[in-house]
Amino acid sequence: MANANTSVSPSSVKKILLSTFGALVVAVALLFGAILPAEYGLDPLGTGSLLGLNALGQEQPISTQPGEYRVDSGELSLYPAEWVEYFYRLDEGSNMIFSWEANGPVEYNFHAAPDGAPPGYAESFDAQAQNSGFGTYTAPFDGIHGWYWENVGTEPITISISTAGFYLSVQEGRARASGFKDLTDLRGNPIPRQPEN
Amino acid sequence: MSAKRAGLGLLALGLALLWAIPLAAHPMDAANAGFVQSVDGPAPGPFLYLGAKHMVTGYDHLLFLVGVIFFLYRLRDVILYVSLFTLGHSITLLLGVLADLNVNAYVIDAIIGLSVVYKGFENINGFERLFGIRPNTKIAVLIFGLFHGLGLATKLQEFMVSSDGLVANILSFNVGVEIGQILALAGVMALLGFWRTRDSFATYSFATNTALMIGGFLFAGVQIVDYVLFS
Repeated sequence: MANANTSVSPSSVKKILLSTFGALVVAVALLFGAILPAEYGLDPLGTGSLLGLNALGQEQPISTQPGEYRVDSGELSLYPAEWVEYFYRLDEGSNMIFSWEANGPVEYNFHAAPDGAPPGYAESFDAQAQNSGFGTYTAPFDGIHGWYWENVGTEPITISISTAGFYLSVQEGRARASGFKDLTDLRGNPIPRQPEN
Repeated sequence: MSAKRAGLGLLALGLALLWAIPLAAHPMDAANAGFVQSVDGPAPGPFLYLGAKHMVTGYDHLLFLVGVIFFLYRLRDVILYVSLFTLGHSITLLLGVLADLNVNAYVIDAIIGLSVVYKGFENINGFERLFGIRPNTKIAVLIFGLFHGLGLATKLQEFMVSSDGLVANILSFNVGVEIGQILALAGVMALLGFWRTRDSFATYSFATNTALMIGGFLFAGVQIVDYVLFS
């Protein structure tokens, strides 16, 4: 039915052959001449260097980072119902690698607040009831980025944490989960823990 | 003849550019793939969107669509052929994912590229003139629909990790593919419909189908390179 509607002018066999093989030749020429150098880093015909396409096919395995390289590791202890926040100052695009492990049940939340955001504003990226976390983080904006951990068990626990990367500073803030939680401003004002007896 | 040549050259160039633009979009891009990997449970909205996006940004599907409706003047015929294509790819998309069929994605994509060549060749009456046969175009469209669906299923399976909500997500993806197809079809039909009223349509339809074959060969060639390098 489709062919009944065909209105292509009657074509000679020669023209059809020319067209079909021509299409194949053009496609192969584009593939070997342009696509292989630009997308795959292969240059079988030398056209890649001629046209300057080779650079497009090379992925850069190294990216340089702004800021200074820092390594921090330590342990922090939490009484039941106590919580702590660890904040890192990272500029947009800066990376850090992290590894943390708690020896008891915790609830955590990795969140970040961009510079200039209204007080209390934070974007949460990961929140689970899980006792460890390992990975990398790339800051989506300039600001403070970090964890909130809360001891949800009935025994005191310890969290070991190591981080390495291109953050500018680390801050710690903590309080008892009940009572002071909503009153404490954590930005830049670490509150030393005073365990009650 | 020289005007035809010029038109052909321009169209080939246009197709080559078309190739460059959706290159990153066609296989699911990194952010989308990351999302699909993280999905655990039914997520109809995102899969609907991904299905539509795949169809609208995948130039292999678009070229095939152009080839199929190039000489279909009546809306009834367009609906018939597109329905056959839809039937074909729905079957293999659903079966492929549900039965966990693992087919090499590059091989399937190379076949999809060659389906575009097939359609262009048929449009210039190649089968009749060269071999004296007239293949059943409806069956051909149905069969290529089956391959396109298998390609979609293979790509989806590469990324789907969780089997929770699998059926709902595939169905959403398939409906999304239909929506994307209708959107793409509307655009292609509007352009073709406008072009058909001009004299240049008759003049350049042979060249356009030649360009379609270039696009199909190019797509198949890229898949063969990928197959050789990465499989």
